[in-house]
Amino acid sequence: MAHFEIKHLTFSYASSNQKNSLQDVSLTIEKGSYVVVCGKSGSGKTTLLRHLKTVLTPHGVRSGEILFGGTPLCEVSQRDQSSKIGFVMQNPDDQIVTDKVWHELAFGLESLGCDQKTMRLRVAEMASYFGIQGWFHRDVAELSGGQKQLLNLASIMAMQPEVLILDEPTSQLDPIAASDFLNTVRKINLELGTTIIITEHRLEDIYHAADKVVVMEHGKMVANDTPRQVGALLYRQNSEMFAALPAPVRIFYQSNASGQCPLTVREGRSWLTSTFEAKAPTVTEPVIPPVKEPTGAPALRLKEAWFRYEKDTPDVLQGVSFEVPAGQLFAIVGGNGAGKSTTLKAVCGICKPYRGKVEIFGKPLGKYKSGELFQNCLSMLPQDPKSLFVKKTVREDLEEMTKDEKKAAQAAELCEITELLDSHPYDLSGGEQQRAALAKVLLTEPKLLLLDEPTKGLDSFFKQKFAKILKKLQGEGITIVMVSHDVEFCAEYADLVSMFFDGQILTTDTPHRFFGSNSFYTTASNRMSRCVFRNAVTAGDVVSLYQKNMEARA
Amino acid sequence: MKKSTIFSILCIVLFIPATLYLGTTLPGRWYYLTSTLIIIETMIPFFLVFESRKPQARELVTIAVMAAIAAVSRMAFAFIPHFKPITAIIMITGMAFGAQAGFLTGTIAAFASNFAFGQGPWTPWQMMAYGMGGFLAGLVFYKRNLTKNPLLNAIIRAVFGFICIMIGVGPLLDASTIFTTGSVINWPFVWSILISGLPVNLTHGVACFLTLLLFSNPLLDKLDRIKTKYGMMEAGNRGI
Amino acid sequence: MRKQDAFSRYHPVVNFLFFLCAIAFGVVIQHPAYMLAGCLGAALYYVLLKRSKGLKTLLGMLPVAVVLTCINPLFNTRGAHVLFTLFGRPYTLEALFYGMIIAGMFLVMMLWFGCYNEVLTSDKFTSLFGNLIPSLSLLLVMVLRLIPNFMRKTKQIIGARNCIGKGANDQNTRKEKVSDGMTILSALTDWALEGSVVTADSMRARGYGTAKRSSFQLYTMTTADWVLLVLIVALSACVIFAGGTSATFTPELEISHISWGFFAYCILLLIPTALQIKEAITWHILRSNI
Repeated sequence: MAHFEIKHLTFSYASSNQKNSLQDVSLTIEKGSYVVVCGKSGSGKTTLLRHLKTVLTPHGVRSGEILFGGTPLCEVSQRDQSSKIGFVMQNPDDQIVTDKVWHELAFGLESLGCDQKTMRLRVAEMASYFGIQGWFHRDVAELSGGQKQLLNLASIMAMQPEVLILDEPTSQLDPIAASDFLNTVRKINLELGTTIIITEHRLEDIYHAADKVVVMEHGKMVANDTPRQVGALLYRQNSEMFAALPAPVRIFYQSNASGQCPLTVREGRSWLTSTFEAKAPTVTEPVIPPVKEPTGAPALRLKEAWFRYEKDTPDVLQGVSFEVPAGQLFAIVGGNGAGKSTTLKAVCGICKPYRGKVEIFGKPLGKYKSGELFQNCLSMLPQDPKSLFVKKTVREDLEEMTKDEKKAAQAAELCEITELLDSHPYDLSGGEQQRAALAKVLLTEPKLLLLDEPTKGLDSFFKQKFAKILKKLQGEGITIVMVSHDVEFCAEYADLVSMFFDGQILTTDTPHRFFGSNSFYTTASNRMSRCVFRNAVTAGDVVSLYQKNMEARA
Repeated sequence: MKKSTIFSILCIVLFIPATLYLGTTLPGRWYYLTSTLIIIETMIPFFLVFESRKPQARELVTIAVMAAIAAVSRMAFAFIPHFKPITAIIMITGMAFGAQAGFLTGTIAAFASNFAFGQGPWTPWQMMAYGMGGFLAGLVFYKRNLTKNPLLNAIIRAVFGFICIMIGVGPLLDASTIFTTGSVINWPFVWSILISGLPVNLTHGVACFLTLLLFSNPLLDKLDRIKTKYGMMEAGNRGI
Repeated sequence: MRKQDAFSRYHPVVNFLFFLCAIAFGVVIQHPAYMLAGCLGAALYYVLLKRSKGLKTLLGMLPVAVVLTCINPLFNTRGAHVLFTLFGRPYTLEALFYGMIIAGMFLVMMLWFGCYNEVLTSDKFTSLFGNLIPSLSLLLVMVLRLIPNFMRKTKQIIGARNCIGKGANDQNTRKEKVSDGMTILSALTDWALEGSVVTADSMRARGYGTAKRSSFQLYTMTTADWVLLVLIVALSACVIFAGGTSATFTPELEISHISWGFFAYCILLLIPTALQIKEAITWHILRSNI
């Protein structure tokens, strides 16, 4: 039975007199199904999702019809909608209303005016199901991002919704918290039969589980089928969305292979194994470009830096030592709370190591006079680009840094935000905000640029665009140090990768050697192909190896 | 008539005189208890009106956000000792959303921040003082077009804020000291407390003046932007 | 979770009522015996709650009390025994004595409030008033949620600005410091207002405003809570109706004889301390039995 039925929905925002945000979308969502909606930022996914709950529906002009369980959605009472349709949004922090975990869990039930007995039981149930008992009495402020999002999910599930809508729920989480969260969503779907409608740009974790994948492009629905069919369709159409699909799917189609398309690393592995079972591959290693030998003095050098925040707290940095050769893109990967961000703060002089040395361009940090360090030398892009926006328009924000209009225009040009200069920074999408913040940072004309989780919350297109800008900067001789969780991004674009663990840098190597020798902390392409190839870390590596071998066979 | 209206009227015509009467006739030192009870009884009608109105989610959130900003605003000026923009932000809220919202923002900001700094005999007085600041600002400036010159408007607001603090908010904050530490309340005692509080009130007033002068225009713009961007003041959502 | 003492584990209604009575009696009754009992009772529980830190604060309050004592006669010049004259005004023994009482009452009040802050945490307070004033207590809870959030964000903004060479430091002029502060405040406001829209959506998505709100009660009244509640009410009634609390100091010293109400008062004040000691003994016995 159809749970949601969308018939010829067309919508345009009241404020914009441009084209429609949704254009004749018709979609049927079955009860208990798991539907993944994907598309670039601004393709209308969020607009579509918000139409599925009246209180969240944006203002504007619309035509068409939405049926919920057979009745028009606008005729379903607000109360029924509140409890039956759950909606989890992107930002874990802003969705939380109250200050205590227990109170947040009960919030929806309180709003519906439930009696004590029902409330106690439901809250207890949810706390147990989601494993929240341990932090039931805590302040919300003490929770991690992953815990907060899980709390949001639990407090919605307490109202026992029939359908759960999630709008990029994991974009602000680190990969481990994200896949935990998505597994919980999957569990809800499997164990409770709740219908799931989810948008995500990290498709790896959910694509294979979907019953149906809906692809949006410029407000139109361009695909609506099973994951395998959608993969084939997007490849045939040469769609931009193809780049966002999970690595096994991309590798399969780009290799022009035949047979059934693998969706997971496991399936990908067995596809490769069976392909090369009869005849072992002749070429097993990708052509690795020779490593440029670093010339001149390192841009940044840390020597056994020790740091802790308070006198009686454990050390966060425990003898960090590394060198960043000038002109390189240097990536530091590692788990949460390992001290990666603190390392960057130590480089900026915000955290002062109590032992050890920090040298920037051969000069100890302490020798730089105040102000000198951040002029033409060092600059950092913070994790949340919004922290840098202080003015009404992007242009004014850039002008805060320099009086020279030409320079500001150049930075805007480089970061591809020229046409956004007169917008309010908060009206931009996540990727645009990131680039605007980068432009602002670049106006200090740094020679050493630090980036803290620059790909957080970006979809694959914005990541590519961002990487292009980084490469351009590198071309201008800027050294870049990046801290990231994003293994795929580092493998693709970094020159050197370092593993940070327990307050130390463990190893530093080129991406191919670094990820090639890791078996767990590595890219999906590497995990999938390591059974037949060596050191193939990006999808491109695997595809070219596959094709070379196939050519050799022919 | 609504229950809350009846109770509010009761509060003003019955409870306050009764408190005053009991406080003056019973044995013991009633200065503090009587005065505080009267303060609380004056606040009750405000609270009840808000409560009975069943405020919308966006209204509630906006007041909460403004109160929280007021409470943490001190942090932005860590480099300037004793610079407290709290009252100025409460006043701007009053100017943007009306006297009642201003009053609530002030009282809630004072009460909530005391969970960090510690509740004490001063709590009701602080709530009243900050609430009054927001209330008066709303009464005078809400939905009122001043001049066409934004700078002039900011100056008018700043002067208003300064005067408000020097003769209203500041003395109210000092009043709790008067009622808790005096054995007799006579003019010399009141004056000496007020004069000893003058330096603090003056810095408070100057901080408020500067904040209103420099920040009232941008903040009012921001609040307007949010109002229009999300149709906060529009009628309910139309579904399909 | 925080370590709690025995009295804090009782229902918030019991906690609140106790402090209401203790503080009200403390600021109203100016009889020296009552004042002294109040001081001791409050100090005992305060030190029990806050340990060595509490003791330090307590000692820090003493000079304040002395100053209060000495200042009062300057304004209250009535009384028969003139000690000396200051600025042409008499400084009397009665007024000095009265000042002492005022200082004592001030101490009692500050100490009880100190205990109150430890015992009646924000969630206890809101659960007290959640049913009575649902919108206001929700508002309070929201502000309490936002304050730490905004503090974190303010730090982030300051940090981010420092890393691009912006932001004030000690060398800047006062004017630069003020304008930097305004910039930070402005950035915080933008960020906060943007988030507020999401919060409002999240509230409405979870049914806010569709029905009369109920309030989740984390705490339930047990038999022990009722017993203590009745005890507090009964003891307070004794204090009020037994009389013998009146005392005047100026112009003449007139102190009434204490009545049995005084003993009720003492028992009332010792409730939290006694509960704590009882618990300590119980656990001691339990442990030694193992």
